Amino acid sequence: MHGFARYADIRLILSGGAVSAILLMALLAPWIAPHEPNDQDLLSILMPPVFAGGSAEHLLGTDSLGRDILSRLIHGARTAMTVAIFASCGAMLLGSVLACIAGYFGGRIDWAISRMVEIWLSFPPVVLSMLLIVGLGIGTDKVILAIILVDWTRFCRVLRTEVQVTRRQDYVAYARLAGFSHGRIILREVLPGVLPMIVTLFSLQMGISVVVEAILSFVSMGVPADVPAWGQMIADARIDIYSAPWGLALPILMIFVTVLSFNALGDSLNRVLDPRSSARRPV
Amino acid sequence: MPVFAVVSMLVFLALRVLPVDPAQMSLPPSATIEQVEAKRIEMGLTKPVWEQYAVWLGSAVRGDFGESAQYRMPTSTLVLQRLPATIELATCALAFAIVFGVAMGLLIFAARGTVLASAGMVVTSVIMALPDFLLALLFILLLGVLMPLFPVNGRLAPGLSVPDLTGFLLVDTLAAGEPRLFLNALSHMALPVLALGLAFSPAIIRVLHSSLVATYQQSYIRQARLRGLSDRSILFGQALKNAILPVVVLVGTQFGGLFGGTLLVELIFSYPGLGNLMLRAMQTVDLNVIMAVALIYCATTLIFNSLADAGVYLLNPRLRS
Repeated sequence: MHGFARYADIRLILSGGAVSAILLMALLAPWIAPHEPNDQDLLSILMPPVFAGGSAEHLLGTDSLGRDILSRLIHGARTAMTVAIFASCGAMLLGSVLACIAGYFGGRIDWAISRMVEIWLSFPPVVLSMLLIVGLGIGTDKVILAIILVDWTRFCRVLRTEVQVTRRQDYVAYARLAGFSHGRIILREVLPGVLPMIVTLFSLQMGISVVVEAILSFVSMGVPADVPAWGQMIADARIDIYSAPWGLALPILMIFVTVLSFNALGDSLNRVLDPRSSARRPV
Repeated sequence: MPVFAVVSMLVFLALRVLPVDPAQMSLPPSATIEQVEAKRIEMGLTKPVWEQYAVWLGSAVRGDFGESAQYRMPTSTLVLQRLPATIELATCALAFAIVFGVAMGLLIFAARGTVLASAGMVVTSVIMALPDFLLALLFILLLGVLMPLFPVNGRLAPGLSVPDLTGFLLVDTLAAGEPRLFLNALSHMALPVLALGLAFSPAIIRVLHSSLVATYQQSYIRQARLRGLSDRSILFGQALKNAILPVVVLVGTQFGGLFGGTLLVELIFSYPGLGNLMLRAMQTVDLNVIMAVALIYCATTLIFNSLADAGVYLLNPRLRS
């Protein structure tokens, strides 16, 4: 038991460190990237990384237009994190508010919100987000909006059940008897009870948002073409897969590491914050 | 069914709100304003949206989903041509995901407490961070380019053809008595199926594992142990029957994720299915095709939800009494 707690702490530190590093890279992109992400060097296109025989001028090589891959990866992190943070916050807010209303008040409101979730979930998320982009048009803000409008259900569905359980606790009934308003009870009594779940879901949603942003820019339905994005780098590099496999492998690696870090952070936060987490039960 | 009706209405409304004019799109760019206006009236676009929806619904229930603006042929023909390829792909991927996921879940649980189990869990988390389209690209990179073991384009090698009976290549090649073509079709499916199936399996592994952990806390497991049953017969005879229920629910509710994943995987492997049709339709704003394919995605998701409900009902005697 003790050993496991320590293992969870190590995981928390490692994943937290990785997430901080990615966020820092996104934040400092214009200062740490060695080149402008859209600068073309047409004399040195499709160069391999320095460890595969490339030059030190372009550490991770160049793409088919001679753009520096390292710089594009760093700026791609900025795009991915901007989208992920705004989209995850939006989905969290929308989903949690609706979950609190549905779970706390029950009755017809609950019925209506639950049916809405059901309708949303009858679509594969990828298809729904692309349909939304067809309607909204492309752009960073549209991608954020599409992710919010697709993924709020994830928060709503899980939290609604949690709120229902919390609402039946004695302390909520006492608060009601003491004459507190519904709004105050939701904010002060119910919300703290479901907060661990919200934090965990948020971390997982960050990873999901990164993937959705990559998918949308991969099919040219994401951010505009002049904004560097990992999905777009993959789409560009796919054509030269035989002559320059590194250009494809590196953005895939970035997405993988980012999603893995956020997933691991979500898992370890869940273990640390939620005493009911199944991982803590002795087998 | 009511959900499906509401969804069809919402998608229809959403597509009509789009700033595109289907009448203008179905005419050559040289058409005059009067011709476009006449076409608008002919297509019923001047009527209120509710009437348009009623007209669309009336034809849709008879199997007429309008004409594709891009391909100039009936949407239903187009969709039926592509549907078998996608169903074949999704079915094989789901089968792989279930077999692989359940086997891994059981193995990791049976090895609990050992290094092997921890390693299995780490591998599971790693696969979990690789969505289907990244797995597809990685497989192409590793098994198609660096070590060319599998074909990475289409459903059959160029030049080969099979008499079209069902549209399901694995069935058609066998029916034609051509084992060589069957193997060729199978090798073309290997990487797309692996990418979709592998991406879906971590969820199954995790749910089965934690469900087994919870099941083993039940008193009947302890009693079975006291009765002297072997580990193997407790796991397969007693625990698995109960622990599999959440997996059935998971497969039913999350199938949409796998089915939606075919969209990108088909694009990556140039696989002539519904996903490629949909992507092309979305790029060209081919409204009738978008509408029809979106509804197929939605119907499939709902059907799988109901199948999972039925499965749980059949597997859980407590729900039947």
